[in-house]
Amino acid sequence: MNRVVSGFEDKLRLGLHVCRGNWSKREDVLITGDYQPLVDCFSEMKIQQLVLEYATPRAGDLAIIGQALSDREIGLGVCNPRTDEAESPHLIAKRIREALQYWGPDKIFLNPDCGFGCFANRCVNEQQVAFEKLKAMVAAAQQVRAEISGA
Amino acid sequence: MYFPVTQVGSWPRSSSLLAALRERRSGRLSTAEFNQLADDEIRQCVQLQIEAGVDYVVDGELRRDNFYSFITEKVDGTQLMSLADMLETVEDKAAFEEMLQTLDAPAFSIRNPTCVGKLQRREPLAADDLQFLRTLTDRPLKVTLPGPYLLTRAMWVTAYSVDAYGDKPVMADDIVAILREELADLAAAGAEFVQFDEPVLTEVVHSGDDERRTFM
Repeated sequence: MNRVVSGFEDKLRLGLHVCRGNWSKREDVLITGDYQPLVDCFSEMKIQQLVLEYATPRAGDLAIIGQALSDREIGLGVCNPRTDEAESPHLIAKRIREALQYWGPDKIFLNPDCGFGCFANRCVNEQQVAFEKLKAMVAAAQQVRAEISGA
Repeated sequence: MYFPVTQVGSWPRSSSLLAALRERRSGRLSTAEFNQLADDEIRQCVQLQIEAGVDYVVDGELRRDNFYSFITEKVDGTQLMSLADMLETVEDKAAFEEMLQTLDAPAFSIRNPTCVGKLQRREPLAADDLQFLRTLTDRPLKVTLPGPYLLTRAMWVTAYSVDAYGDKPVMADDIVAILREELADLAAAGAEFVQFDEPVLTEVVHSGDDERRTFM
């Protein structure tokens, strides 16, 4: 990875996305385990943002990356791309506040855990649901922004 | 602005886009005809993102078969193979089939970009798509690319790749070069954010050798 990105660090925001599979809506067949074993690997990579899953318990605790790699930006996974109902903005806002314990507000991006259709004919969601999930993230971002500026 | 909202990359395909992807694969639809339809779908996808209030916009990977197999359309020395095709070269066929079943992975609809010769970037992987996206919105743009580790691991299928490269790390050198060329093009085309996808890293650390292994 470092050989790929060397020299581009100042020209582009470079991110790394690591997930636990997105080919099935069945939770039991996707991979489980936290990011601890990957911390050293991540810290060696010259990557500005880690785009990680945090919307299912399979991904483990936010503190692991939060404590070790708060110098990077976090692309915080706050929606499960495989479920049929949008997460509530209230719940997403709570996750943002948890992330604020480790990262500065300028280092937190919001995104779903993964794509809504990584494999064209095995899409894990529908457009309307995906749209609702995007709106929920936007609403949560506005909510926490307002809290911070009012504080 | 704090907490910008974006996506990880892919958007659900409509049934007409799925049909067009199929027709293009079989050669019944030209690339130009396919792109015309895909352009319309991407316009809609961007419209929805803007309506939702997303900050960093993606094109939904709507032109792609999947997030890494699509490079067979852009890179010489590759061949798109379904997992069912690859079954031919797997020594323990029963175990491979069982793995696919256990993982709920459909062998015919998930395709792999297999290295079958010397790899050479014939056209940009994503920079052309980015230029089209740029015409649709002034918001910052995010582009997704398969990471070097994923590509090296997925593309190397010994039976097909060994003649061109002899060994996997030699092939990896060419993958690094291809991705660097792409980053240069993307930077020139005005991408703000490039995300590399490396989903198999979790598998490497969380699946023991004798346990399961996924298909990527």
